Amino acid sequence: MKVIKNIISNFKRYSFLMKQLILRDFKVKYKRSVLGIVWSLLYPVLMMLVMAMVFSQMFRYNMEGVNYLVYLMTGLVMFNYFSEATNSAMTSVVTNFSLINKVYIPKYIFPIAKALFVGINFLLTLIPLLVIILITGSGETKCVINLWYLLLPYIFVCLLFFTMGIGLFLSTVSVFLRDMFYIYGIIITIWNYVTPIFYDISIIPLALQPIFKLNPLYIFINGARSIILYGTPPSFLELGVMLLIGVGTLAIGSLVFKKNQDKFIYYV
Amino acid sequence: MIRVNNVSMKFDLGIDKGSSFKNMFISFFDKKRRRKKEYFWALNNISFHVKKGEVIGLIGSNGAGKSTLLKVVSGVMKPTKGKVVVNGSIAPMIELGAGFDAELTARENIYLNGAVLGYSEKFLNEKFDDIVEFSELRDFLDVPVKNFSSGMVAKLAFSISTVVDPEILIVDEILSVGDIKFQEKSRNKMMEMIKGGTTVLYVSHSIESIKELCDRVIWLDHGNIVKIGPAKEVCSEYYLSQMGETEEESIKRRKEEKKEEEKSKKKKK
Repeated sequence: MKVIKNIISNFKRYSFLMKQLILRDFKVKYKRSVLGIVWSLLYPVLMMLVMAMVFSQMFRYNMEGVNYLVYLMTGLVMFNYFSEATNSAMTSVVTNFSLINKVYIPKYIFPIAKALFVGINFLLTLIPLLVIILITGSGETKCVINLWYLLLPYIFVCLLFFTMGIGLFLSTVSVFLRDMFYIYGIIITIWNYVTPIFYDISIIPLALQPIFKLNPLYIFINGARSIILYGTPPSFLELGVMLLIGVGTLAIGSLVFKKNQDKFIYYV
Repeated sequence: MIRVNNVSMKFDLGIDKGSSFKNMFISFFDKKRRRKKEYFWALNNISFHVKKGEVIGLIGSNGAGKSTLLKVVSGVMKPTKGKVVVNGSIAPMIELGAGFDAELTARENIYLNGAVLGYSEKFLNEKFDDIVEFSELRDFLDVPVKNFSSGMVAKLAFSISTVVDPEILIVDEILSVGDIKFQEKSRNKMMEMIKGGTTVLYVSHSIESIKELCDRVIWLDHGNIVKIGPAKEVCSEYYLSQMGETEEESIKRRKEEKKEEEKSKKKKK
Protein backbone atom coordinates (compact mmCIF):
# COMPACT_ATOMS: atom_id res chain seq x y z
CA MET A 1 0.00 0.00 0.00
CA LYS A 2 2.74 2.38 1.04
CA VAL A 3 4.65 1.72 -2.16
CA ILE A 4 1.63 2.58 -4.29
CA LYS A 5 1.01 5.73 -2.25
CA ASN A 6 4.63 6.72 -2.81
CA ILE A 7 4.39 6.15 -6.54
CA ILE A 8 1.24 8.27 -6.79
CA SER A 9 2.65 11.18 -4.77
CA ASN A 10 5.82 11.05 -6.86
CA PHE A 11 3.78 11.13 -10.04
CA LYS A 12 1.86 14.15 -8.81
CA ARG A 13 5.04 15.92 -7.88
CA TYR A 14 6.70 15.37 -11.22
CA SER A 15 3.65 15.51 -13.46
CA PHE A 16 4.51 19.07 -14.52
CA LEU A 17 7.98 17.98 -15.56
CA MET A 18 6.46 15.04 -17.42
CA LYS A 19 4.13 17.42 -19.23
CA GLN A 20 7.00 19.72 -20.12
CA LEU A 21 9.12 16.85 -21.45
CA ILE A 22 6.25 15.61 -23.61
CA LEU A 23 5.58 19.15 -24.83
CA ARG A 24 9.25 19.53 -25.71
CA ASP A 25 9.18 16.36 -27.77
CA PHE A 26 6.17 17.62 -29.67
CA LYS A 27 7.70 21.02 -30.36
CA VAL A 28 11.05 19.62 -31.41
CA LYS A 29 9.50 16.90 -33.55
CA TYR A 30 7.47 19.21 -35.73
CA LYS A 31 9.75 22.21 -35.77
CA ARG A 32 10.62 23.38 -39.28
CA SER A 33 8.31 20.91 -40.99
CA VAL A 34 5.67 22.54 -43.18
CA LEU A 35 2.90 20.05 -42.43
CA GLY A 36 3.79 19.76 -38.76
CA ILE A 37 1.40 17.67 -36.76
CA VAL A 38 -0.49 16.64 -39.92
CA TRP A 39 2.34 14.18 -40.44
CA SER A 40 1.07 12.18 -37.47
CA LEU A 41 -2.13 11.60 -39.46
CA LEU A 42 -0.62 11.31 -42.89
CA TYR A 43 2.34 9.08 -42.16
CA PRO A 44 0.48 5.93 -41.10
CA VAL A 45 -1.96 6.32 -44.00
CA LEU A 46 0.82 6.53 -46.55
CA MET A 47 2.66 3.62 -44.93
CA MET A 48 -0.50 1.56 -45.04
CA LEU A 49 -1.10 2.41 -48.69
CA VAL A 50 2.42 1.37 -49.63
CA MET A 51 2.11 -1.93 -47.80
CA ALA A 52 -1.37 -2.58 -49.11
CA MET A 53 -0.10 -1.97 -52.63
CA VAL A 54 2.91 -4.23 -52.17
CA PHE A 55 0.99 -7.12 -50.66
CA SER A 56 -2.23 -7.04 -52.60
CA GLN A 57 -0.79 -6.11 -55.99
CA MET A 58 2.74 -7.53 -56.07
CA PHE A 59 2.35 -10.61 -53.89
CA ARG A 60 -1.31 -11.07 -54.78
CA TYR A 61 -2.03 -11.62 -51.13
CA ASN A 62 -5.72 -11.72 -50.44
CA MET A 63 -7.92 -12.38 -47.45
CA GLU A 64 -11.42 -13.54 -48.33
CA GLY A 65 -14.26 -11.67 -46.69
CA VAL A 66 -12.01 -9.31 -44.73
CA ASN A 67 -11.50 -5.61 -45.20
CA TYR A 68 -7.77 -5.87 -45.84
CA LEU A 69 -7.06 -2.13 -45.49
CA VAL A 70 -8.60 -2.02 -42.02
CA TYR A 71 -6.92 -5.31 -41.11
CA LEU A 72 -3.53 -3.93 -42.17
CA MET A 73 -3.98 -0.48 -40.66
CA THR A 74 -5.05 -1.79 -37.24
CA GLY A 75 -1.99 -3.98 -36.96
CA LEU A 76 0.31 -1.34 -38.38
CA VAL A 77 -0.82 1.45 -36.07
CA MET A 78 -0.49 -0.68 -32.96
CA PHE A 79 2.81 -2.22 -33.92
CA ASN A 80 4.29 1.12 -34.94
CA TYR A 81 3.32 2.56 -31.60
CA PHE A 82 5.12 -0.23 -29.80
CA SER A 83 8.17 -0.05 -32.02
CA GLU A 84 8.59 3.72 -31.92
CA ALA A 85 7.84 4.06 -28.22
CA THR A 86 10.21 1.32 -27.09
CA ASN A 87 12.93 2.64 -29.35
CA SER A 88 12.80 6.19 -28.06
CA ALA A 89 12.32 5.03 -24.47
CA MET A 90 15.46 2.93 -24.86
CA THR A 91 17.61 5.90 -25.86
CA SER A 92 15.94 8.37 -23.48
CA VAL A 93 18.15 7.79 -20.46
CA VAL A 94 21.39 7.97 -22.43
CA THR A 95 20.39 11.10 -24.37
CA ASN A 96 19.27 12.93 -21.26
CA PHE A 97 22.45 12.17 -19.41
CA SER A 98 23.54 15.81 -19.18
CA LEU A 99 20.42 16.41 -17.10
CA ILE A 100 20.71 13.31 -14.96
CA ASN A 101 24.28 14.23 -14.14
CA LYS A 102 23.40 17.71 -12.92
CA VAL A 103 20.04 17.81 -11.26
CA TYR A 104 18.23 15.23 -9.19
CA ILE A 105 15.27 13.97 -11.21
CA PRO A 106 13.72 10.54 -10.88
CA LYS A 107 15.19 8.86 -13.91
CA TYR A 108 12.19 6.71 -14.79
CA ILE A 109 10.50 9.89 -15.93
CA PHE A 110 12.38 9.84 -19.24
CA PRO A 111 11.31 6.44 -20.62
CA ILE A 112 7.79 6.91 -19.25
CA ALA A 113 7.49 10.36 -20.85
CA LYS A 114 8.59 8.89 -24.18
CA ALA A 115 6.03 6.07 -24.01
CA LEU A 116 3.33 8.65 -23.28
CA PHE A 117 4.48 11.08 -25.96
CA VAL A 118 4.41 8.40 -28.65
CA GLY A 119 1.11 7.31 -27.11
CA ILE A 120 -0.44 10.71 -27.82
CA ASN A 121 0.82 10.38 -31.37
CA PHE A 122 -0.78 6.94 -31.47
CA LEU A 123 -4.12 8.44 -30.49
CA LEU A 124 -3.81 10.83 -33.41
CA THR A 125 -3.19 7.95 -35.79
CA LEU A 126 -6.50 6.45 -34.68
CA ILE A 127 -8.24 9.27 -36.57
CA PRO A 128 -7.12 8.09 -40.03
CA LEU A 129 -7.87 4.51 -38.93
CA LEU A 130 -11.42 5.56 -38.09
CA VAL A 131 -11.76 7.32 -41.45
CA ILE A 132 -10.63 4.17 -43.25
CA ILE A 133 -13.08 2.06 -41.25
CA LEU A 134 -15.87 4.40 -42.31
CA ILE A 135 -15.08 4.80 -46.00
CA THR A 136 -13.72 1.43 -47.14
CA GLY A 137 -15.34 -1.93 -47.72
CA SER A 138 -18.75 -2.87 -48.97
CA GLY A 139 -21.22 -5.61 -48.20
CA GLU A 140 -19.47 -8.39 -46.38
CA THR A 141 -16.24 -6.43 -45.84
CA LYS A 142 -17.93 -3.34 -44.45
CA CYS A 143 -16.83 -2.74 -40.85
CA VAL A 144 -19.40 -1.44 -38.44
CA ILE A 145 -18.72 0.62 -35.37
CA ASN A 146 -20.15 -1.33 -32.47
CA LEU A 147 -20.58 -1.29 -28.73
CA TRP A 148 -17.48 -3.40 -28.17
CA TYR A 149 -15.36 -0.39 -29.21
CA LEU A 150 -15.64 0.54 -25.55
CA LEU A 151 -13.19 -2.29 -24.91
CA LEU A 152 -10.54 -0.79 -27.19
CA PRO A 153 -9.21 1.72 -24.60
CA TYR A 154 -8.74 -1.20 -22.23
CA ILE A 155 -6.63 -3.02 -24.83
CA PHE A 156 -4.63 0.12 -25.58
CA VAL A 157 -3.90 0.72 -21.90
CA CYS A 158 -2.63 -2.85 -21.58
CA LEU A 159 -0.45 -2.24 -24.63
CA LEU A 160 0.80 1.01 -23.05
CA PHE A 161 1.78 -0.82 -19.86
CA PHE A 162 3.51 -3.51 -21.86
CA THR A 163 5.38 -0.87 -23.88
CA MET A 164 6.41 1.03 -20.75
CA GLY A 165 7.74 -2.16 -19.18
CA ILE A 166 9.80 -3.06 -22.23
CA GLY A 167 10.97 0.57 -22.52
CA LEU A 168 12.14 0.67 -18.91
CA PHE A 169 13.94 -2.63 -19.34
CA LEU A 170 15.64 -1.57 -22.60
CA SER A 171 16.70 1.83 -21.27
CA THR A 172 18.37 0.08 -18.33
CA VAL A 173 20.21 -2.45 -20.46
CA SER A 174 21.33 0.12 -23.03
CA VAL A 175 23.03 2.23 -20.35
CA PHE A 176 25.42 -0.61 -19.62
CA LEU A 177 25.55 -2.09 -23.09
CA ARG A 178 25.31 0.50 -25.83
CA ASP A 179 25.24 -2.34 -28.37
CA MET A 180 21.60 -2.74 -27.39
CA PHE A 181 20.66 0.07 -29.78
CA TYR A 182 21.71 -2.08 -32.71
CA ILE A 183 20.61 -5.40 -31.29
CA TYR A 184 17.15 -4.06 -30.64
CA GLY A 185 16.99 -2.71 -34.19
CA ILE A 186 17.36 -6.29 -35.41
CA ILE A 187 14.98 -7.67 -32.81
CA ILE A 188 12.23 -5.24 -33.74
CA THR A 189 12.60 -6.11 -37.43
CA ILE A 190 12.21 -9.80 -36.65
CA TRP A 191 9.34 -9.01 -34.31
CA ASN A 192 7.70 -7.05 -37.11
CA TYR A 193 7.74 -10.08 -39.40
CA VAL A 194 6.66 -12.70 -36.88
CA THR A 195 3.69 -10.57 -35.87
CA PRO A 196 0.80 -11.11 -38.28
CA ILE A 197 0.42 -7.50 -39.37
CA PHE A 198 0.08 -7.79 -43.14
CA TYR A 199 -0.66 -11.50 -43.26
CA ASP A 200 -3.06 -13.77 -41.44
CA ILE A 201 -1.84 -16.27 -38.90
CA SER A 202 -3.45 -19.08 -40.98
CA ILE A 203 -0.57 -18.94 -43.48
CA ILE A 204 1.82 -20.08 -40.75
CA PRO A 205 2.36 -23.87 -40.54
CA LEU A 206 -0.10 -25.36 -38.08
CA ALA A 207 2.63 -26.68 -35.84
CA LEU A 208 4.15 -23.23 -35.41
CA GLN A 209 0.92 -21.35 -34.85
CA PRO A 210 0.76 -21.86 -31.04
CA ILE A 211 4.20 -20.27 -30.76
CA PHE A 212 3.15 -17.29 -32.85
CA LYS A 213 0.12 -16.88 -30.67
CA LEU A 214 2.32 -16.40 -27.59
CA ASN A 215 3.55 -13.09 -29.02
CA PRO A 216 2.07 -10.42 -26.72
CA LEU A 217 1.74 -7.99 -29.61
CA TYR A 218 -0.29 -10.56 -31.53
CA ILE A 219 -2.61 -10.93 -28.55
CA PHE A 220 -3.18 -7.16 -28.37
CA ILE A 221 -3.56 -6.68 -32.12
CA ASN A 222 -5.77 -9.73 -32.49
CA GLY A 223 -8.05 -8.49 -29.74
CA ALA A 224 -8.44 -5.08 -31.35
CA ARG A 225 -9.00 -6.65 -34.77
CA SER A 226 -11.74 -8.98 -33.64
CA ILE A 227 -13.64 -5.98 -32.30
CA ILE A 228 -13.03 -3.70 -35.28
CA LEU A 229 -13.35 -6.24 -38.11
CA TYR A 230 -15.95 -8.67 -36.81
CA GLY A 231 -17.63 -6.91 -33.94
CA THR A 232 -16.85 -9.77 -31.57
CA PRO A 233 -15.15 -9.05 -28.25
CA PRO A 234 -12.12 -10.99 -26.99
CA SER A 235 -12.97 -13.65 -24.42
CA PHE A 236 -12.62 -12.96 -20.73
CA LEU A 237 -9.56 -15.16 -20.71
CA GLU A 238 -7.93 -13.11 -23.46
CA LEU A 239 -8.76 -9.84 -21.70
CA GLY A 240 -7.29 -11.22 -18.49
CA VAL A 241 -4.14 -12.33 -20.27
CA MET A 242 -3.73 -8.85 -21.76
CA LEU A 243 -3.89 -7.20 -18.35
CA LEU A 244 -1.52 -9.76 -16.93
CA ILE A 245 0.99 -9.19 -19.73
CA GLY A 246 0.74 -5.40 -19.40
CA VAL A 247 0.99 -5.14 -15.63
CA GLY A 248 3.49 -7.99 -15.37
CA THR A 249 5.87 -6.49 -17.92
CA LEU A 250 5.59 -3.07 -16.35
CA ALA A 251 6.35 -4.53 -12.94
CA ILE A 252 9.39 -6.43 -14.19
CA GLY A 253 10.67 -3.44 -16.19
CA SER A 254 10.25 -1.11 -13.21
CA LEU A 255 12.01 -3.53 -10.92
CA VAL A 256 15.01 -3.92 -13.25
CA PHE A 257 15.16 -0.15 -13.70
CA LYS A 258 14.91 0.56 -10.00
CA LYS A 259 17.57 -1.99 -9.08
CA ASN A 260 20.09 -0.43 -11.44
CA GLN A 261 19.29 3.28 -11.63
CA ASP A 262 21.86 4.33 -9.03
CA LYS A 263 24.62 2.88 -11.18
CA PHE A 264 23.56 4.76 -14.33
CA ILE A 265 25.62 7.79 -13.49
CA TYR A 266 28.90 5.88 -13.79
CA TYR A 267 28.14 4.44 -17.20
CA VAL A 268 26.61 7.21 -19.25
CA MET B 1 20.18 21.16 7.89
CA ILE B 2 22.75 19.10 6.05
CA ARG B 3 24.45 16.14 7.70
CA VAL B 4 27.15 14.28 5.85
CA ASN B 5 28.28 11.19 7.74
CA ASN B 6 31.36 9.20 6.70
CA VAL B 7 30.63 9.59 3.02
CA SER B 8 32.91 7.83 0.54
CA MET B 9 32.55 7.81 -3.18
CA LYS B 10 34.22 5.21 -5.35
CA PHE B 11 34.58 5.43 -9.12
CA ASP B 12 35.50 2.46 -11.26
CA LEU B 13 38.06 3.72 -13.75
CA GLY B 14 37.86 0.55 -15.82
CA ILE B 15 34.31 1.10 -17.03
CA ASP B 16 35.27 3.09 -20.07
CA LYS B 17 38.08 0.75 -21.06
CA GLY B 18 36.73 -2.68 -20.44
CA SER B 19 33.32 -2.92 -21.98
CA SER B 20 34.28 -3.62 -25.57
CA PHE B 21 33.74 -7.07 -26.97
CA LYS B 22 37.42 -7.45 -27.83
CA ASN B 23 38.43 -6.88 -24.22
CA MET B 24 35.74 -9.20 -22.94
CA PHE B 25 36.94 -11.85 -25.34
CA ILE B 26 40.58 -11.46 -24.40
CA SER B 27 39.96 -11.45 -20.68
CA PHE B 28 37.80 -14.52 -20.98
CA PHE B 29 40.61 -16.64 -22.38
CA ASP B 30 43.64 -14.94 -20.99
CA LYS B 31 43.45 -14.67 -17.26
CA LYS B 32 46.71 -12.77 -16.98
CA ARG B 33 45.48 -9.97 -19.11
CA ARG B 34 42.22 -9.71 -17.26
CA ARG B 35 42.16 -6.12 -16.22
CA LYS B 36 42.74 -5.35 -12.60
CA LYS B 37 39.98 -3.48 -10.90
CA GLU B 38 41.03 0.13 -10.94
CA TYR B 39 39.30 2.28 -8.41
CA PHE B 40 39.44 5.90 -7.59
CA TRP B 41 38.11 7.28 -4.36
CA ALA B 42 36.76 10.71 -5.20
CA LEU B 43 35.64 11.17 -1.61
CA ASN B 44 37.13 9.52 1.40
CA ASN B 45 35.24 9.31 4.64
CA ILE B 46 33.89 12.84 4.61
CA SER B 47 31.84 14.05 7.56
CA PHE B 48 30.50 17.49 8.35
CA HIS B 49 27.38 19.26 9.47
CA VAL B 50 25.91 22.46 8.17
CA LYS B 51 23.54 24.46 10.33
CA LYS B 52 20.59 26.42 9.03
CA GLY B 53 21.61 29.74 7.53
CA GLU B 54 25.29 28.91 7.38
CA VAL B 55 27.30 29.67 4.28
CA ILE B 56 29.90 27.01 3.66
CA GLY B 57 32.69 27.38 1.13
CA LEU B 58 34.46 24.46 -0.51
CA ILE B 59 38.02 24.96 -1.70
CA GLY B 60 40.65 22.69 -3.11
CA SER B 61 42.60 22.15 -6.29
CA ASN B 62 41.07 20.64 -9.43
CA GLY B 63 39.96 17.06 -8.85
CA ALA B 64 39.86 17.44 -5.09
CA GLY B 65 36.27 16.20 -5.00
CA LYS B 66 34.38 19.46 -4.61
CA SER B 67 31.89 18.92 -7.39
CA THR B 68 31.43 15.27 -6.47
CA LEU B 69 30.59 16.33 -2.94
CA LEU B 70 28.00 18.79 -4.24
CA LYS B 71 26.48 16.09 -6.40
CA VAL B 72 26.27 13.71 -3.46
CA VAL B 73 24.59 16.34 -1.30
CA SER B 74 22.10 17.31 -4.01
CA GLY B 75 21.16 13.67 -4.57
CA VAL B 76 22.47 13.33 -8.12
CA MET B 77 24.85 10.63 -6.94
CA LYS B 78 24.35 8.06 -4.23
CA PRO B 79 27.43 7.70 -2.01
CA THR B 80 29.20 4.35 -2.09
CA LYS B 81 29.42 4.41 1.68
CA GLY B 82 28.04 6.66 4.36
CA LYS B 83 24.92 8.73 4.61
CA VAL B 84 23.70 12.15 3.60
CA VAL B 85 20.72 13.69 5.34
CA VAL B 86 19.28 16.90 3.98
CA ASN B 87 16.36 18.75 5.53
CA GLY B 88 14.80 21.33 3.28
CA SER B 89 14.35 22.15 -0.37
CA ILE B 90 17.47 22.28 -2.48
CA ALA B 91 18.19 24.53 -5.45
CA PRO B 92 21.16 23.03 -7.23
CA MET B 93 23.05 25.50 -9.39
CA ILE B 94 25.68 23.00 -10.31
CA GLU B 95 25.74 23.67 -13.98
CA LEU B 96 23.60 26.41 -15.43
CA GLY B 97 21.41 25.62 -18.36
CA ALA B 98 21.78 21.86 -18.07
CA GLY B 99 18.11 21.41 -18.86
CA PHE B 100 17.95 23.65 -21.89
CA ASP B 101 16.89 22.38 -25.25
CA ALA B 102 18.70 24.35 -27.94
CA GLU B 103 15.84 23.99 -30.41
CA LEU B 104 13.31 25.62 -28.12
CA THR B 105 12.84 29.34 -27.57
CA ALA B 106 13.78 31.15 -24.39
CA ARG B 107 10.13 31.25 -23.36
CA GLU B 108 9.72 27.50 -23.78
CA ASN B 109 13.01 26.84 -22.03
CA ILE B 110 11.98 28.84 -18.99
CA TYR B 111 9.13 26.39 -18.48
CA LEU B 112 11.17 23.30 -19.32
CA ASN B 113 14.10 24.26 -17.12
CA GLY B 114 11.79 25.40 -14.36
CA ALA B 115 10.11 22.00 -14.42
CA VAL B 116 13.49 20.30 -14.32
CA LEU B 117 14.37 22.31 -11.22
CA GLY B 118 11.15 21.15 -9.62
CA TYR B 119 9.06 24.34 -9.83
CA SER B 120 5.30 24.04 -10.14
CA GLU B 121 3.35 25.37 -13.07
CA LYS B 122 1.58 27.95 -10.93
CA PHE B 123 4.84 29.20 -9.50
CA LEU B 124 6.35 29.58 -12.96
CA ASN B 125 3.36 31.48 -14.27
CA GLU B 126 3.63 33.88 -11.36
CA LYS B 127 7.35 34.35 -11.62
CA PHE B 128 7.66 34.36 -15.40
CA ASP B 129 7.95 38.14 -15.64
CA ASP B 130 10.49 38.30 -12.82
CA ILE B 131 12.67 35.79 -14.63
CA VAL B 132 12.47 37.64 -17.92
CA GLU B 133 13.09 40.97 -16.21
CA PHE B 134 16.14 39.72 -14.36
CA SER B 135 17.62 38.06 -17.42
CA GLU B 136 17.36 41.26 -19.51
CA LEU B 137 16.30 39.12 -22.46
CA ARG B 138 12.76 40.32 -23.08
CA ASP B 139 13.50 41.11 -26.73
CA PHE B 140 14.75 37.59 -27.37
CA LEU B 141 11.98 35.61 -25.72
CA ASP B 142 10.89 33.88 -28.91
CA VAL B 143 14.33 33.17 -30.31
CA PRO B 144 15.59 29.57 -30.13
CA VAL B 145 18.28 29.26 -27.51
CA LYS B 146 20.70 27.80 -30.05
CA ASN B 147 21.04 31.33 -31.49
CA PHE B 148 21.97 32.79 -28.11
CA SER B 149 25.50 33.74 -27.15
CA SER B 150 26.93 31.77 -24.24
CA GLY B 151 26.60 34.84 -22.04
CA MET B 152 22.91 35.12 -22.84
CA VAL B 153 22.34 31.45 -22.09
CA ALA B 154 24.06 31.86 -18.75
CA LYS B 155 21.99 34.92 -17.91
CA LEU B 156 18.77 33.12 -18.66
CA ALA B 157 19.83 30.06 -16.68
CA PHE B 158 20.91 32.12 -13.68
CA SER B 159 17.64 33.99 -13.69
CA ILE B 160 15.60 30.79 -13.74
CA SER B 161 17.51 29.07 -10.97
CA THR B 162 17.58 32.04 -8.60
CA VAL B 163 13.92 32.94 -8.80
CA VAL B 164 13.12 30.53 -5.97
CA ASP B 165 13.82 31.11 -2.31
CA PRO B 166 15.24 27.71 -1.55
CA GLU B 167 16.18 26.61 1.92
CA ILE B 168 19.46 25.24 0.64
CA LEU B 169 21.39 26.66 -2.28
CA ILE B 170 24.17 24.71 -3.94
CA VAL B 171 26.40 26.86 -6.08
CA ASP B 172 29.28 25.74 -8.23
CA GLU B 173 31.38 28.56 -9.57
CA ILE B 174 28.70 30.63 -11.27
CA LEU B 175 29.22 34.17 -10.12
CA SER B 176 31.25 34.95 -13.20
CA VAL B 177 28.24 34.91 -15.46
CA GLY B 178 27.53 37.38 -18.23
CA ASP B 179 28.86 40.92 -18.64
CA ILE B 180 30.16 43.15 -15.85
CA LYS B 181 26.77 44.65 -15.16
CA PHE B 182 25.10 41.27 -14.89
CA GLN B 183 27.94 39.92 -12.73
CA GLU B 184 27.29 42.70 -10.26
CA LYS B 185 23.59 41.98 -10.38
CA SER B 186 24.03 38.25 -9.83
CA ARG B 187 26.40 38.87 -6.96
CA ASN B 188 23.84 41.13 -5.31
CA LYS B 189 21.15 38.52 -5.82
CA MET B 190 23.36 35.92 -4.14
CA MET B 191 24.06 38.25 -1.23
CA GLU B 192 20.37 38.90 -0.87
CA MET B 193 19.64 35.19 -0.69
CA ILE B 194 22.40 34.63 1.83
CA LYS B 195 21.16 37.45 4.02
CA GLY B 196 17.65 36.05 3.77
CA GLY B 197 18.82 33.03 5.78
CA THR B 198 19.45 30.55 2.99
CA THR B 199 21.90 27.79 3.76
CA VAL B 200 24.57 27.80 1.07
CA LEU B 201 27.18 25.37 -0.15
CA TYR B 202 29.51 27.32 -2.38
CA VAL B 203 32.38 26.15 -4.56
CA SER B 204 34.81 28.63 -6.04
CA HIS B 205 38.43 29.04 -6.97
CA SER B 206 38.21 32.70 -6.13
CA ILE B 207 39.56 32.92 -2.60
CA GLU B 208 38.38 36.50 -2.50
CA SER B 209 34.70 35.69 -2.97
CA ILE B 210 34.92 32.73 -0.60
CA LYS B 211 36.30 34.94 2.11
CA GLU B 212 33.68 37.55 1.43
CA LEU B 213 30.65 35.25 1.43
CA CYS B 214 31.38 32.26 3.63
CA ASP B 215 31.20 31.69 7.36
CA ARG B 216 33.08 28.43 7.32
CA VAL B 217 35.27 26.76 4.75
CA ILE B 218 35.98 23.12 4.00
CA TRP B 219 39.33 22.48 2.36
CA LEU B 220 39.36 19.30 0.31
CA ASP B 221 42.33 17.51 -1.16
CA HIS B 222 42.19 14.20 -3.04
CA GLY B 223 38.86 13.39 -1.51
CA ASN B 224 39.93 14.06 2.05
CA ILE B 225 39.05 16.93 4.31
CA VAL B 226 42.26 18.77 5.13
CA LYS B 227 40.63 21.32 7.32
CA ILE B 228 37.29 22.75 8.36
CA GLY B 229 37.15 26.09 10.08
CA PRO B 230 36.50 29.82 9.92
CA ALA B 231 36.76 31.15 6.37
CA LYS B 232 39.75 33.47 6.84
CA GLU B 233 41.86 30.98 8.72
CA VAL B 234 41.36 28.08 6.30
CA CYS B 235 41.68 30.28 3.22
CA SER B 236 45.01 31.75 4.23
CA GLU B 237 46.36 28.34 5.14
CA TYR B 238 45.15 26.98 1.80
CA TYR B 239 46.76 29.86 -0.04
CA LEU B 240 50.04 29.24 1.77
CA SER B 241 50.07 25.56 0.85
CA GLN B 242 49.24 26.18 -2.78
CA MET B 243 51.45 29.16 -3.52
CA GLY B 244 54.27 28.59 -1.03
CA GLU B 245 53.71 31.97 0.60
CA THR B 246 50.98 33.83 2.40
CA GLU B 247 48.66 36.19 0.57
CA GLU B 248 50.27 39.24 2.17
CA GLU B 249 53.66 38.04 1.07
CA SER B 250 52.58 37.61 -2.51
CA ILE B 251 51.01 41.04 -2.60
CA LYS B 252 54.23 42.48 -1.19
CA ARG B 253 56.31 40.50 -3.66
CA ARG B 254 54.21 41.68 -6.60
CA LYS B 255 54.63 45.26 -5.51
CA GLU B 256 58.37 44.85 -5.31
CA GLU B 257 58.50 43.21 -8.71
CA LYS B 258 56.58 46.11 -10.14
CA LYS B 259 58.97 48.59 -8.58
CA GLU B 260 61.96 46.80 -10.02
CA GLU B 261 60.35 46.68 -13.42
CA GLU B 262 59.83 50.41 -13.32
CA LYS B 263 63.39 50.91 -12.19
CA SER B 264 64.78 48.90 -15.08
CA LYS B 265 62.55 50.76 -17.50
CA LYS B 266 63.93 54.04 -16.21
CA LYS B 267 67.44 52.75 -16.58
CA LYS B 268 66.83 51.85 -20.21
CA LYS B 269 65.60 55.32 -20.90
